[in-house]
Amino acid sequence: MFRTAARRLLGAGFTTSRLLRLPKPRPTTIIPYSYCTSSTESPIGNQSVNPNQSDTAREEGHRRDESSRKPRAEFEEEQARVLAASLRHVPRLGWTEEAMIAGSRDVGVSPSIVGSFSRKEAALVEYFMDDCLQLLIDRVDSGLDLQNLIPSERVSKLVSIRLEMQIPYMSKWPQALSIQAHPVNVPTSFKQRAMLVDEIWHTVGDGASDLDWYVKRTVLGGVYSTTEIYMLTDDSPEYRDTWAFLDDRVKDAFDLKKSIQEAKYFAQDIGAGVGKSFQGLMNGVMQTMSTRGGRSSAF
Amino acid sequence: MALRLLSRRTLGSRILSYRASLHSHATSFGFQQVKEEEKSKLVGNVFTNVASSYDIMNDVMSAGLHRLWKERLVGKLSPFAGMKHLDVAGGTGDVAFRIFDAVNSVKRRALRKVDEASLEETQIYVCDINPNMLNVGKQRAADRGLRDNKSLVWVEGDAEALSFDDNSMDGYTIAFGIRNVTHIEKALAEAYRVLKRGGRFLCLELSHVDIPVFKELYDLYSFQVIPNLGELIAGDRDSYQYLVESVRRFPPQERFAKMIGDAGFEKVEYENLVGGVVAIHSAIKL
Repeated sequence: MFRTAARRLLGAGFTTSRLLRLPKPRPTTIIPYSYCTSSTESPIGNQSVNPNQSDTAREEGHRRDESSRKPRAEFEEEQARVLAASLRHVPRLGWTEEAMIAGSRDVGVSPSIVGSFSRKEAALVEYFMDDCLQLLIDRVDSGLDLQNLIPSERVSKLVSIRLEMQIPYMSKWPQALSIQAHPVNVPTSFKQRAMLVDEIWHTVGDGASDLDWYVKRTVLGGVYSTTEIYMLTDDSPEYRDTWAFLDDRVKDAFDLKKSIQEAKYFAQDIGAGVGKSFQGLMNGVMQTMSTRGGRSSAF
Repeated sequence: MALRLLSRRTLGSRILSYRASLHSHATSFGFQQVKEEEKSKLVGNVFTNVASSYDIMNDVMSAGLHRLWKERLVGKLSPFAGMKHLDVAGGTGDVAFRIFDAVNSVKRRALRKVDEASLEETQIYVCDINPNMLNVGKQRAADRGLRDNKSLVWVEGDAEALSFDDNSMDGYTIAFGIRNVTHIEKALAEAYRVLKRGGRFLCLELSHVDIPVFKELYDLYSFQVIPNLGELIAGDRDSYQYLVESVRRFPPQERFAKMIGDAGFEKVEYENLVGGVVAIHSAIKL
């Protein structure tokens, strides 16, 4: 959604790398220092912070004064670095604070910094989801060949590319899913999945913006989630069963779309037919009534 | 005691004569202006007097809420095994004990894979300028069976001139102590100095309330009830008068946050508890 909107606003030269640093939901009790007007994560260390930052500017890629960008970027960069280093420990330690502490040690920062991440393990999972989305976008941008494929195959291919990124973490992925399902974390994880699904449809070449848009994304969201869960228990070589499952589901989804279309036309036809016969009946009734009325008025 | 000399009835004339002799190095001691050199002495006297009943008075004045506030502070800190932590002005050890428990609790150890060796490395330094307060803390440690525990270290020291090395601490907390410091900027600078890169600064302090009706009630409670309680329970009205006045003189949340930022810290945030009666400021050194 952001990518398509941003494309429309800014044209093809737009880079998406900054977009995916989603604004963290603001907790209700924490009041940020007023110099940081747009997020809780802006550090203060620089006297020349621009106080006129607006929220819309954030979506357009953080194009700001250099002076105000530096202090904010430092903490976020540090956070990103720690999270990236933590991912290496996840297969062994899980999506936990221990992994993040180990990651911070790798970067050379005191593990206390982990205490400052909001919703700690969720921060790690969300970082990973953002990272994968970015990798997917990069893959697509760097010339993934989709021309010779029909839409359903394109969808399959993109979903499989994205799911393959999770393979190294597959042993701990159920934990990540449960973290994403916590009520506190649901808004962000939902948003990330929505962006992912939107990105896939956008790449497949869909430009719809009516009710269809929601239906398509919901259906693809369902396909993605079920395949993801299927993958958790799949131990066929190279996840062949998962890809077969995915292909079937995508085919069903497209067939569903066709079936809905057909059902719509069918209903319209019936409606037309019933309408015609009803109209004919009414006309007949009116005629008889008018002739009868005419005759009776002669009296 | 010096406080009795500066009684409020003759404050007006005293302030005028003081103003004549004061130059730019004056600071506040409650609502009174005193010379800087005197402030730490006066504060020292206050805490020497209240040390033995400090904990009881805390419970009575805050109706036990101070325990929750300290829990929240330690929760925000997220202590980990092997951390080097400094609790400044933490004389009686409330925060230090909570951190110790958080790191060593059996439940935590069972749930997470903790390296036993790193547990040994945990060091919690409790620093206080007042030896009486430290003694109360040491006694409480002994009562809990932690007298000889290597993890808790009781150090006498000044928040404005810490005896610890640069970049040596993972965490720094100061609970209800920073308003008693003569030069807050120096204390913040010292905090910045001793923290490692990525280390966190957390400050729990009584702060300013802005909510209309609640503010009046709070002021009423502070100025009418607390000094009387002090007299009743600790036998010392003046110290608690100083206490409530020093709270009003402390910078409000935003200004204090700015001071923290000026000391070099990043990601400065604050959280109001009980509508602003207490605020937890947190920041990171990067």
